[in-house]
Amino acid sequence: MITELGHFALITAFVLSLVQGFLPLIGAARGNAAMMLIAPAAAISVMLAVAFSFGALVWGFITSDFSLALVANHSHSTKPMIYKISGTWGNHEGSLILWILILAIYGGVLALGGRAMPMALKARILAVQGLVSTGFLAFSLFTSNPFLRLGTAPLDGKGLNPILQDPGLAIHPPTLYLGYVGLSMAFAFAVAALISGEVDRLWAKWMRPWIMAAWCALTCGIALGSWWAYYELGWGGWWFWDPVENASLMPWLAATALLHSAIVVEKRGQLKSWTVLLAIMAFSLSLVGTFIVRSGLLTSVHSFASDPARGVFVLVILLFAVGIPLALYAWRGPQLVTTADFSLTSREGGLIANNMLLVVATAIVLLGTFYPLGLEMVTGARITVGPPYFDATFNPVMALLMMIMAIGPVMAWRHGKTARLRVVLITAAVGAGITAGLTSAFAVGFSIGALVALGLIGWLGAGIGADIWQQLKPHGGAGIARRARRVPTEVIGMWLAHFGIVIFMLGAVGDNLYNSEQVVRAKPGDVIQIADRNVTFTGVKQVQGPNYQALAAQLEYRDQSGKLFALLTPEKRIYNAERQTTTEAAIRPTLRGDDYAVLGDGDNKIGFTLRLYYKPLVSWIWGGAAIMALGGLLAAFGRQRTAANQTSPVTNSTTAMPASGRGA
Amino acid sequence: MMSQLRLSFLLPLLAFTALALVGAVALYATLSGSRDPAQLPSVLVNKSAPRTSLANLMPNDAGDNMVQLTAFKGQPLLVNFFASWCAPCRAEAPALEMLSKRVAILGIAYKDRGEDTNSFLEQYGNPFRAVGMDTDGRMGIEWGVYGVPETYLLDANGVVKLRHAGPLTRGVIDATIMPALEALGSW
Repeated sequence: MITELGHFALITAFVLSLVQGFLPLIGAARGNAAMMLIAPAAAISVMLAVAFSFGALVWGFITSDFSLALVANHSHSTKPMIYKISGTWGNHEGSLILWILILAIYGGVLALGGRAMPMALKARILAVQGLVSTGFLAFSLFTSNPFLRLGTAPLDGKGLNPILQDPGLAIHPPTLYLGYVGLSMAFAFAVAALISGEVDRLWAKWMRPWIMAAWCALTCGIALGSWWAYYELGWGGWWFWDPVENASLMPWLAATALLHSAIVVEKRGQLKSWTVLLAIMAFSLSLVGTFIVRSGLLTSVHSFASDPARGVFVLVILLFAVGIPLALYAWRGPQLVTTADFSLTSREGGLIANNMLLVVATAIVLLGTFYPLGLEMVTGARITVGPPYFDATFNPVMALLMMIMAIGPVMAWRHGKTARLRVVLITAAVGAGITAGLTSAFAVGFSIGALVALGLIGWLGAGIGADIWQQLKPHGGAGIARRARRVPTEVIGMWLAHFGIVIFMLGAVGDNLYNSEQVVRAKPGDVIQIADRNVTFTGVKQVQGPNYQALAAQLEYRDQSGKLFALLTPEKRIYNAERQTTTEAAIRPTLRGDDYAVLGDGDNKIGFTLRLYYKPLVSWIWGGAAIMALGGLLAAFGRQRTAANQTSPVTNSTTAMPASGRGA
Repeated sequence: MMSQLRLSFLLPLLAFTALALVGAVALYATLSGSRDPAQLPSVLVNKSAPRTSLANLMPNDAGDNMVQLTAFKGQPLLVNFFASWCAPCRAEAPALEMLSKRVAILGIAYKDRGEDTNSFLEQYGNPFRAVGMDTDGRMGIEWGVYGVPETYLLDANGVVKLRHAGPLTRGVIDATIMPALEALGSW
């Protein structure tokens, strides 16, 4: 019964989102307030209806209602409760409903808030949201209905892919969707601006928190996915340049460009049409990310062919969602052009360089992801370009980006040379020299890559440090504490986000260049050496899990003095319901580095294959991502520049513009 | 001036239209089932394979640290370009394992590091008689490799008979590799 109500609620949401999509647009065009006011009411109703529908689906999974086709195919009665719930979005149909729910929540939140916004702008934004959700509700109802019943219910379900039964994967998709779908808000702002033909600084001011929120969620979502791959796949890596990962990286790169260009619109009223285009691009890429990849067009031809209607539907939605805004852009865009009133060596110039590099990086990833598809069409072959391509193309662009990241924020708006810029440049250069020097002096296994990467880390770290010091050092009678209080939260957010990159890079460099690896066939009693540790393999044990059986290797880690400091037990699991084997890596994460062990095949006679890694600083990768996201949150929701800030004697000096008008 | 400006605003739409067309063609090809796993046209077919001499991944006791293609003459040979960083290569591992019982396979690790190749073989099995390291991808250029995985079938005289780009699947083996091996009289 609840299932049928859920289905009904989904149909209701579809009808309501049609209303939300069209009537407010007409109202805004005619200046009819009553029709514009339909928008928030409809958005809130859609949110409630979709929430109910999603709840009904979760209920089906919790109660293991195997008369539901989706539950029977993707769940099992012996599964732990948390995975029954996360199983709701561990499949195409359910994750689509989650996607729509998050879209509806974003719309609902804007409908409930946004009181200061002009009525017409708000109506248009919600209408665009409504049109997007109409498309996806139709997708769900007509091709991917999660509420289909089975004629005869099976006694038990088929289970969920064991590799997906993991706490990380329970929260990874919702976080990632929060980011993907959050970009729909920026998209709606952009399309609304194109419809009205007006972009002003307030428009950017209202849009920015949504971009920042989406960006933070996307950052966390990507980091969670990479962390999951690190500990669950047992391959020791954390980024594989696989199409699914690329699909999340592209919108992230575009969103990063967008959040920087929106600053220029807000503070200076420049780059309007570019920002609108970026907003459309960012959301388009997130649509491509969620759906093209999942449709199997890139990863598996077979899963795609299983339901042809689905792929066609995705392509039609994409055509409308991207084609119409781009046509609008071709028509209205020229109206948004402003005459550039700044020199290239200015904050604007720095941000434009940032945008160029990020767009090039996006194009590189796009090409690397879709070139194999293009080739497959021509030749019928499925191949992959892999890390050699990305290392050679993506990394240099990122290196340039890190170069300007240190100096861009200290340049002034319009005409950029400030006294602070010189100090920061010198400090950054010294920092780069010191780290590069230390690398070449002390590192084992010298390489150009390490030299460049560590030099960049020194450059950016010292640059940010110099910037912070100059803004905090006692000046004009104000002590550090007093000056710190005057720094706008969004500036602190920017420092944190940029500093997160430094931390992330340290982790990436530590793991890529200094990681140790041992693959051995070991019998009980054998001792393996890795990095400065001695590992004793004492044997394997049988372990009985809730819905699996496992073989667990016992590894005793000792340091040079012979002291036992850790016991690692990597497992090989066989899941009863799915008859599938997975390897569970054992990881001992510390700030200095991770001990990582994987158990392979073998038996007591011939010995077991063991793969052991020591990965210096690897957890800094995700720590850096977390710091970046935190910085984004501060910039999005923290105190903006205040009146006190603008009139303070310090900011009225030569550095007035940058100190008061900077953003993340 | 103004018309030039307008044109530049049309560009994103044009670019998107082109991409969408590509997507639509790919989709149509998939749906109609006309995407044929046929072999790529290779200029090498019916010509001698390029001279191939590579560092051996697993140096033997005899101190011979090079893998020579000529050492395999006198029997049909599969040459498989693969890499540890390539996902489809993992997918084709079982197929290669099966084929290795019938025909000698020479593996060429394309743009890969030795330790990565080793752990790849450790995890997914080693169907190869020998593995040559094409660390800088020079051999890949000689052979005209599009990407990995890619497989070539050579006859007993070292002449290329067939090329398949993309992972070997049951279907590919039945439809192309096996008939070609039969034609060489070794099945």
